[in-house]
Amino acid sequence: MHKRVFYTPLDFILISLLLAAAGYVFYRIAFHLDYSWNWHVIPQYLFRYDVERGRWVSNYLIDGLVTTIRLSLWAGILALVLGFFFAVMRLSSSLFLRLFARCYIELMRNLPPVVIIFLFYFFLADQFLPLLHLEQVVSRLPPPLQRIEEFLFGDPAILSPFVSAMITLAAFESAYVAEIFRAGIESVENHQREAAYALGLKNHQTMRHIILPQALIRVLPPLSGQLISLIKDSAIVSVISIQELTYQGTQLMASTYMTIEVWTTIALLYLLLTFPCSVMVSYLESRFARS
Amino acid sequence: MNENASGLKSQVQPIVVVDSISKSFTHNVKVLDNVSTRVTKGDVLVIIGPSGSGKSTFLRCLNGLEDIDQGTILIDGIPLDDHEKNRLKIRREVGMVFQSFHLFPHMTVLENVNLAQKLVRKKSKIEATQLSKDLLQKVGVDDKAAVYPNELSGGQQQRVAIARALALMPKIMLFDEATSALDPEMIGEVLDVIRDLANDGMTMVVVTHEMGFAREVSDRVLFMEHGCVIEEAPTERFFQQPAQERTRAFLRKIL
Repeated sequence: MHKRVFYTPLDFILISLLLAAAGYVFYRIAFHLDYSWNWHVIPQYLFRYDVERGRWVSNYLIDGLVTTIRLSLWAGILALVLGFFFAVMRLSSSLFLRLFARCYIELMRNLPPVVIIFLFYFFLADQFLPLLHLEQVVSRLPPPLQRIEEFLFGDPAILSPFVSAMITLAAFESAYVAEIFRAGIESVENHQREAAYALGLKNHQTMRHIILPQALIRVLPPLSGQLISLIKDSAIVSVISIQELTYQGTQLMASTYMTIEVWTTIALLYLLLTFPCSVMVSYLESRFARS
Repeated sequence: MNENASGLKSQVQPIVVVDSISKSFTHNVKVLDNVSTRVTKGDVLVIIGPSGSGKSTFLRCLNGLEDIDQGTILIDGIPLDDHEKNRLKIRREVGMVFQSFHLFPHMTVLENVNLAQKLVRKKSKIEATQLSKDLLQKVGVDDKAAVYPNELSGGQQQRVAIARALALMPKIMLFDEATSALDPEMIGEVLDVIRDLANDGMTMVVVTHEMGFAREVSDRVLFMEHGCVIEEAPTERFFQQPAQERTRAFLRKIL
């Protein structure tokens, strides 16, 4: 359903004023800013020509983008799984499970993400993950599996930090995901449970066939929104030297001093990731609003 | 009344036995106060009474949707107690139809009717679909099998809900004001279906405000007020010579 759009003279005046203001700002930046623009050096940080291998390869920024994608994807999946279980625990009939999930969720939602990242990272990366010897495990894999590993998780040499960053991100995003799931499950009207009860369904059957299908459709838009948040929040792990997009940005800026160019490019790259997700969310919302 | 004296023993055995059950929502308000009744197999018991008299709550106690504080309920010989196994058995023998249908909105009409057959009776999809089609035809909505509930009228939805409950082949059917949420022109089509069920010999407990229907379809009538049973009697006697003054007052108001 489209509303007809009417333009009034006031709209034209306001739009003209805005355009004039934007034009003036642009004019000042273009001709009076004390900043020497060096846009032409940016493309080489996206892709560079590798002379030894004789072909184009990705450079810092694209590498960072790929790491961000990998990180968001795996952290997102893990957060969905963890979040789902925390939501189910939160609604469990066992007091212990309820309290445990509640504590976890409240803790995660009431601490600054950076603090959580430092806490988790130094525990996971320094103490816990070395016990698993991930790098050694990967180096013993047959080459085809190693290539798959590299495609999915990036450079095997830095697998441990990557995994701990992934777990850390998932750990605090899962608290938000859990609350979304919980709200979705609770939003399914009680009479649906009653109807299932009267039909002789067991609790887990009611959950799986009646409650979850309806809850999942309702939480899809907020869940996708949370995924966008996760992509943006993944920038935080740059503080623990994960070489994702933001980290690469800080490095590049430190070596080139091209602040505005670098950060504009990085902003555009993030938009490249998040904007399609936003469009997808609105699409999902309108689709489910209809059915 | 000796017309069905042959084979009386199995007929007379009550399938629903309710013995002095009580229930309060808060400490002060008793919604059910010492309610007892029996329903014989194949009989239709209609429960009437003013709003808030506890008749819906009583009905919901019969399959354990509401817990009781005191008393005992026996369904087909199984006690409705805290044992999950007994509860499950009873839930699978007792079909229920709600005031606002409560169909599953994310499933088609056919899937709604198939679901419990597959999950509870462990039938294959083909077997389940066969019975579902028969039932949908019986309630007159077989042309809507592939449609989602929200595309149906209230009357059609309620008929699907009846088919869904029947799909488990229940021994007893509970109707909780099954026509109260319907537009007047759709009440008839749902009552027709319930009437057919009664004629087929289904044991039913029906909460309704449709007095004409109650009189026509029921074998016994139970009148409740403030959570108490005021009077229970065979239908003709109930309507023609009610014993209690409060019953007479109620009937005067609504007839």
